[in-house]
Amino acid sequence: MKYEMVAGFETHIELATNTKIFCSCTTQFGGDPNTHCCPICIGLPGTLPKLNKQVIKYAIMAGLATNCEIANISKMDRKNYCYPDLPKAYQISQYDKPLCEHGYVQLSSGKKIRLTRIHIEEDAGKLIHKRGDTYVDYNRGGVPLIEIVSEPDIRSVEEAKEYVEKLQQIMRFIGISDCKMQEGSMRCDVNISVRPEGSDKLGTRTEIKNMNSITFIGRAMEYEFQRQVDLIESGGQVEQQTLRYDDATNTTSSMRGKEDANDYRYFRDPDLVTISVTDEEIDELRKQIPELLFQKAERYVQQFGMNEKDAANISKYRRIAEFFEEASEGVKTPKNVSNFIIGQIFRRLETEDDKEKFDISITAQQLRELVKLIDDGKVKNNLAKSTLEKMLDTGKSVTEFITESDMAGMDEGMLAELCKKAVEANPKAVSDYKAGKVKALKSMVGFVMKESRGKADASAAEAKILELIG
Amino acid sequence: MVTHEDVIAIARLSKLYIPEEELDAMTKAMDDIIKFADTINNASEKGVEFDNINNLSNAFREDEVVPSYDREEILSNANDIDEGHFLVRKRV
Ligand SMILES: [Zn+2]
Repeated sequence: MKYEMVAGFETHIELATNTKIFCSCTTQFGGDPNTHCCPICIGLPGTLPKLNKQVIKYAIMAGLATNCEIANISKMDRKNYCYPDLPKAYQISQYDKPLCEHGYVQLSSGKKIRLTRIHIEEDAGKLIHKRGDTYVDYNRGGVPLIEIVSEPDIRSVEEAKEYVEKLQQIMRFIGISDCKMQEGSMRCDVNISVRPEGSDKLGTRTEIKNMNSITFIGRAMEYEFQRQVDLIESGGQVEQQTLRYDDATNTTSSMRGKEDANDYRYFRDPDLVTISVTDEEIDELRKQIPELLFQKAERYVQQFGMNEKDAANISKYRRIAEFFEEASEGVKTPKNVSNFIIGQIFRRLETEDDKEKFDISITAQQLRELVKLIDDGKVKNNLAKSTLEKMLDTGKSVTEFITESDMAGMDEGMLAELCKKAVEANPKAVSDYKAGKVKALKSMVGFVMKESRGKADASAAEAKILELIG
Repeated sequence: MVTHEDVIAIARLSKLYIPEEELDAMTKAMDDIIKFADTINNASEKGVEFDNINNLSNAFREDEVVPSYDREEILSNANDIDEGHFLVRKRV
């Protein structure tokens, strides 16, 4: 029998606020243990949490960018469980009135992965297990999170990876999180079950907790899918349980079974008043959502005739997209701008992080000046390329490297003269060419290009030389 | 009725020490608190929104960092500490 995978995601994302969700301690990553703490975030009795305004803003922006409805009224609840990473023995989260509901993320196939909800909550502290004892660091405790819960709409590892990547790109693009999986600012839990292909019933699901890399998510899902299929094929039954993925062995193992599933005894946090957001405030935030990367990519294809791959590459990083758009303003050939970015500028930005930061030495306007010279036929492509390299090395403008006389271009007479010179100076190349060595022609064209300091038009030079030696 | 034993047990869980001579008063106080909480059972549930009885909303804070506490102070109530961490000992 053929089986189908059914999966849904719970994704935790740390918001890029300056301070924690309920106190004014910094959210900075790292720092000596327990140095980003105060009585509120270590849960001392008698303290009063106060909600960070920016958390609400960012969470609503996340909702708007993923097509959610935003609740005008929501509230905070206590989720009770006893574990040393939670100093109060409860986590302040949202239960029945989340901030955002009913959204979706669209995959490149057009398929929509529905989002059940997005709610806000506080992160827990970090536990380090040593020699059987547990060391607790509350620096991360109280850092604001959004949890994005999807419907079980995912049917393959490929869809899962694309979904996570899309979420990551959207959240980075709107600037609410850096979504660094290796630093834990984005973490995924996956619910996964299998069923015979064509069935519309859901099988018993397991939940793989806390994965922090897209590669591991893929491997863990593949492993778990196969494990469940094998179990059913051999007459067994999948047990509802929570699993941990071990990337060293590429296996999943049980953390806890259904019988000790938690009863979180949710109730409203009496310390925190109702959150009320008006339609006007929501509209104001909607205006702050930039055109998203997928929308940009589509527009680049239609408006500039870019191919889909280039459009996707340019639009993927917000700063690069903005640079591209600024540099393309008023130029005849945006394609030249994108080619320079993908060709030459990307070569200087090795990592994803480099591209995200986009720290280069020239401005969009400087690149625009260069491209306009190509548009006007004043500079040939090869010369423009080498000039761009010099600009990127020094941060200086195009006029520093190409003089007015360089730009004057070449008239027919000058070109003819140079070609004549090329033929006279290279008798061997001429005889080689006549003897059938086509390459010899290129060396004479090269001579012309060099003599003209890149100003000559290579194809015109070639034609002229052929005419001379023909 | 709350007993002395109940109070001693709760005190131990909260890592509090209650002197013998305060036990009577503490037991009575605990009893009064629980009786007070019980009055909620007599309230009519119809048409009352218990979730937000004070009708307050939006007590927000600006996103501005205030220096955190010294670690010594943060750890000063801990039962056990090591290398700047709260330490939870392995249970024997
Ligand atoms: Zn704090």
